[in-house]
Amino acid sequence: MAELEKLTEAILSGDNKTAVAITKQALAEQADPAELISKYMIPAMDEAGRRFECEEYFVPELLLSARAMKGALELLRPLLAERGAQPAGRVAIGTVKGDLHDIGKNLVASMLEGGGFEVIDLGADVPAEKFIEAVNDKGAHIVALSALLTVTMPAMRTTIDAIKAAGVRDKVKVIVGGAPVTKQFADEIGADGFGENASVAVALARKMMAG
Amino acid sequence: MAQTASVQQSKERVLSALAHRPPDRVPLDFGSTAVTGIHVSCVAALREYYGLEKRPVKVHEPYQMLGYVEEDLKAAMGIDTEGVYPRKTLFGFPVENWKPWRFLDLEVLVPGQFNTTVDTNGDILIYPEGDLSAPPSGRLPKGSAFFDTIVRQKPIDEERLNPEDNLEEFGPIADADLDHLARSAAEASTKGRAVVANFGGTAFGDIALVPGPFMKDPKGIRDIAEWYMTTSTRRDYVHSIFARQCEIALGNLERIHAVVEDKVDAVFLCGTDFGTQASSFCSVSTFRELWFPYYKRVNDWVHRHTNWRCFKHSCGSVERFMDSFIEAGFDIINPVQCSAAHMEPEHLKSKYGGRLVFWGGGVDTQKTLPFGTPAQVREEVLRRCEIFSRDGGFVFNSIHNVQAGTPVENIVAMIGAVREFNGLR
Repeated sequence: MAELEKLTEAILSGDNKTAVAITKQALAEQADPAELISKYMIPAMDEAGRRFECEEYFVPELLLSARAMKGALELLRPLLAERGAQPAGRVAIGTVKGDLHDIGKNLVASMLEGGGFEVIDLGADVPAEKFIEAVNDKGAHIVALSALLTVTMPAMRTTIDAIKAAGVRDKVKVIVGGAPVTKQFADEIGADGFGENASVAVALARKMMAG
Repeated sequence: MAQTASVQQSKERVLSALAHRPPDRVPLDFGSTAVTGIHVSCVAALREYYGLEKRPVKVHEPYQMLGYVEEDLKAAMGIDTEGVYPRKTLFGFPVENWKPWRFLDLEVLVPGQFNTTVDTNGDILIYPEGDLSAPPSGRLPKGSAFFDTIVRQKPIDEERLNPEDNLEEFGPIADADLDHLARSAAEASTKGRAVVANFGGTAFGDIALVPGPFMKDPKGIRDIAEWYMTTSTRRDYVHSIFARQCEIALGNLERIHAVVEDKVDAVFLCGTDFGTQASSFCSVSTFRELWFPYYKRVNDWVHRHTNWRCFKHSCGSVERFMDSFIEAGFDIINPVQCSAAHMEPEHLKSKYGGRLVFWGGGVDTQKTLPFGTPAQVREEVLRRCEIFSRDGGFVFNSIHNVQAGTPVENIVAMIGAVREFNGLR
């Protein structure tokens, strides 16, 4: 029998190989993919997020946990789709037009996946139309915008304006983050929320889905 | 601040500040390093504002598109520093043979081997060593103002990882580079300003350099996220790189010192960022295990053999590392990102001001300088000067480079506020 507690441990310690091996074994033993996620994987990423928040973990450790979680999740995703399992929410995430910085965005995406969300990762340097497409065609509930540069922060505003102009603003919550971004800026540009770091972004996304 | 009786020359002024003695005025740096510079578009705007001769600005650092602050602009701004830059750019080609290039509706000059193509998205691609037959190593998105590295990570075979692959860019300094540094330092030392040198080779794991944008075919660990994870999981590998890099660097510093001697006042040694906006990239104990020994060796060598002051750059929230930076022998910290967590100016000055020179911290480049009003810029600059200049130990610079899109009125307000603080108007 697969020792499922060790899946939690492997994700938490960033041991990708072990996380994948235990997940494979569990699936071979007919484990329920949704249960693997909710009972063993989400708690691991929640704990990684907690440790990041209280500075026991830093960016490298969070990246390692995210990679281990992703490795396991890739095995489970096709099975979840087959069974019509519903994610906690669907998030379209990207770094805004003109900005190629994606480490923070990737961390947030991984943390959201680890938190049970379906993530549509649009990459970096993403034009507003791509976000609108994700809302219209893929049913994104949340759009998450990232920017590292002061020169690309205005693209957050233009993206939100474009979402409004496309008539889909009321269908979607918009959250923003990135080093120079502040709560005040988020309010000014009409975002629904601001996440100071990857861990906060998950709590924020959960709040958005609840409210 | 306390004023000395006579007016000092620029060099003397900076040296007073570096020695933690109150200079006659707060000294000013813009353009002496790749982290204290000004975006080419802003340099052009400043030249126009000050009514200087109309001519295209030279992009001497293409990665961040930094414009060269020439003698006439230095004089207009009252700059007290002079930079000595490496012979080659971050994309591996020499800074020579200027040619015109059009960028952001601006005619600029770029080095002769600044060779680019435009992809189907309209993004500009740049090539290592200017070699158009090699895969591009940098991308400037359409309409953007800066390049970013294109990561060219080969698949990693854990069993075959070899630190030598991450050491390819480090080796004995070439004669051409040595001659360039000797010439540049000699020329810089005639200007009456403090000379800040950027020799290269002493940045341990700087994330801008890890992907090897200057190399045609980088091997080893070159992906940014993979490198960060490596600092947690493959520490022996990182130690092997840093230890060998350190040996090479000390050999090079000896040769460099033999030709530049004490014409240099401060040496930019490492730009590895340890801070993020709200936290840091590692714990203090990781810093002390992985970086501290190498920093200490380099700084000890510099202090034992030269009069140079050791300059460390690290963005973000780095208050927790300050004692370790000091113990490792750094004399100067930059950019003093007061907008990051735990980086309040009063706290930094009172706790570390007697032991570290703050080179930066003058104004926030994430908010106030690009987005504030000239009055807000003035207010912030005056306050920062008041706090940081107490008992010397302060060289004014904005927090990192002045970014593209910053209104020229705000840059002028910043310079004006420093002059006002200095009693010059």
